[in-house]
Amino acid sequence: MSSRTETSPSFAGAVLVPGMPQLLAERPAPAWAGLADGARAAGERLRGAGAETLVVISTQWFTVLGHQVQVDERLTGTRVDENWYDFDYGTMHYDLHTDVALAEQWATEIESAGLEARRTRYEHFPVDTGVILANRLLDPQGGLSIAQVSCNLYAGVEDIATLGRAVVRAAESVGRRVGLVAVTGLSSALTQRWIEPEEDRVEEPTYEEWDRRILGLLADGDVDQVLQLREQYAREAQADSQLRALAFLQGSGQLVGAADVLEYAALWGTGGAVVHWPG
Amino acid sequence: MSNVFRVPVGDRTWQRRGQSAHSPDAQGDAPRLPGIVAGVLAPHPPHLLYAENPPQNEPRSEGGWEVLRWAYEDLRQRIRAMDVDVIVLHAPHWITMVGHHVNCVPNPRGFSVEPIFPHLLRYEYAFHTDVELAEAIADQAHDDGLVTRKMRNDGVRVDYATITALHLLNPDWDIPVVSLSANNNPYFYSTSSLDQMHVLGESTRKAIESLGRRALVAGSNSLSHLHWDREQGLPEDMTYEHAYNHHQYRWDMRFLELIRQGRTRELRDLIPEHIDETESETKAGSLTWMLSALGWPEGIGEVLAYGTVIGTGNAVCLWDLEKGAR
Repeated sequence: MSSRTETSPSFAGAVLVPGMPQLLAERPAPAWAGLADGARAAGERLRGAGAETLVVISTQWFTVLGHQVQVDERLTGTRVDENWYDFDYGTMHYDLHTDVALAEQWATEIESAGLEARRTRYEHFPVDTGVILANRLLDPQGGLSIAQVSCNLYAGVEDIATLGRAVVRAAESVGRRVGLVAVTGLSSALTQRWIEPEEDRVEEPTYEEWDRRILGLLADGDVDQVLQLREQYAREAQADSQLRALAFLQGSGQLVGAADVLEYAALWGTGGAVVHWPG
Repeated sequence: MSNVFRVPVGDRTWQRRGQSAHSPDAQGDAPRLPGIVAGVLAPHPPHLLYAENPPQNEPRSEGGWEVLRWAYEDLRQRIRAMDVDVIVLHAPHWITMVGHHVNCVPNPRGFSVEPIFPHLLRYEYAFHTDVELAEAIADQAHDDGLVTRKMRNDGVRVDYATITALHLLNPDWDIPVVSLSANNNPYFYSTSSLDQMHVLGESTRKAIESLGRRALVAGSNSLSHLHWDREQGLPEDMTYEHAYNHHQYRWDMRFLELIRQGRTRELRDLIPEHIDETESETKAGSLTWMLSALGWPEGIGEVLAYGTVIGTGNAVCLWDLEKGAR
């Protein structure tokens, strides 16, 4: 369990949210609506705590070489999801404003920690579904800026944790108050057929047991234990990207107390949760 | 539907097909028979496309990975000689979480920035889909028990693996295409259902034969798939390019030896073991799909080249069902 008891003045809180676009469905399953409501509530908490920028790592922007930091000042366009394109929630318009000063400083801090940080600024860059979804639910009015880092699937989790530490240092350096956001699922046994929303349930009972065990530990404030179980969880319940996005949050050094699990539900057979840590 | 061109596993009917139509001195006058003409293993690291400096791709390079690119050059000439109606491609980076999807957009076009390698691939693509065949493959796969979907939304960005493999096979883009997704779980890198990929391959063959198309089937996978997690300053600096480790290399060579010797039946058995030992990208199923479409033919595999890209093993391979007939 973390021994730190104080958080940085630049830390406004942290959240873990799912990245499946079903949360935006016009006719959502009750489970999907509950998760969306949970994410909106978590966003209110971040904004209420004075967050100015959402700092996001999404498992759907996965990379394999180094770490990419998005530094394009404005990201605007339409994302058509390559799996869910036929559903109303599969097409998402977005207009995101990057906190460039924070992102640049973050990249510098990552490099100072001995890691590779590639600054990403390309027209037509495809922002992933998870980032768009999280931004829309956490910040429906679009009042916050955003900073994003990719999720390197080949890097060790200690490197992912370093990204979290680096962004807090960067926020302190540029005087920004940030909400940290991990966009990730939990267990990931996707239902392999086209279902109606109301049919949705976590596909494997043992996976749901794992999800609830993990969430219970987070609610007890025992993030370290969760990270120790991470590889086993990944093996036995196909945890989304081996739950490395949680290592990002923990690496910030700001998860000092018990988490509030706002919601847990099925998302096309996978486990989805909304979890909040106060600033 | 005719089964004339169906090649049962390992029975060498590919030889009968070619030889029945030709006397030994009739090379160059091969009749243009419908069906699957050949299969290729066509790896898709964007580095290979980047190194070619085509006008469609924004980044510029100083080259690199020449041996693999020369193999593609050779392969392109052979594809041209095959005179196919369509290239059917299965590639692992159009990841679909639910079911096997087939691109049925008549004229996909757009600008694809690759989120993993945006510094290497920012490509303006435009090609033509053989929509009739695309729909037939989806329908046949559905009839064969697979979960499928016909993708008709022209807003879906075409992925880098599809672009890279198709560009390297046919940079003129003047052969119609059918693009298949890889049904995988993007959040957990489990082995795809190779059994389903086998069925999908058979469905593909049935659809091609039912429409009388003359087709090349291309499975786009790398082999051993451990690689570096950091990049050197210049991507094409070949002084940093080598196999990830000896174990990965040895397993790739064992794999390729079976291809060279035409021992496809044994190769089929080795694929899962090779995946376990090397994290081979064949776990995405493209190779299994392709060889299943061919009918797992014995005796005709060719390895045109092997090389590494950021440490991963990549081979350009050909199974020419009409070899000797042209």
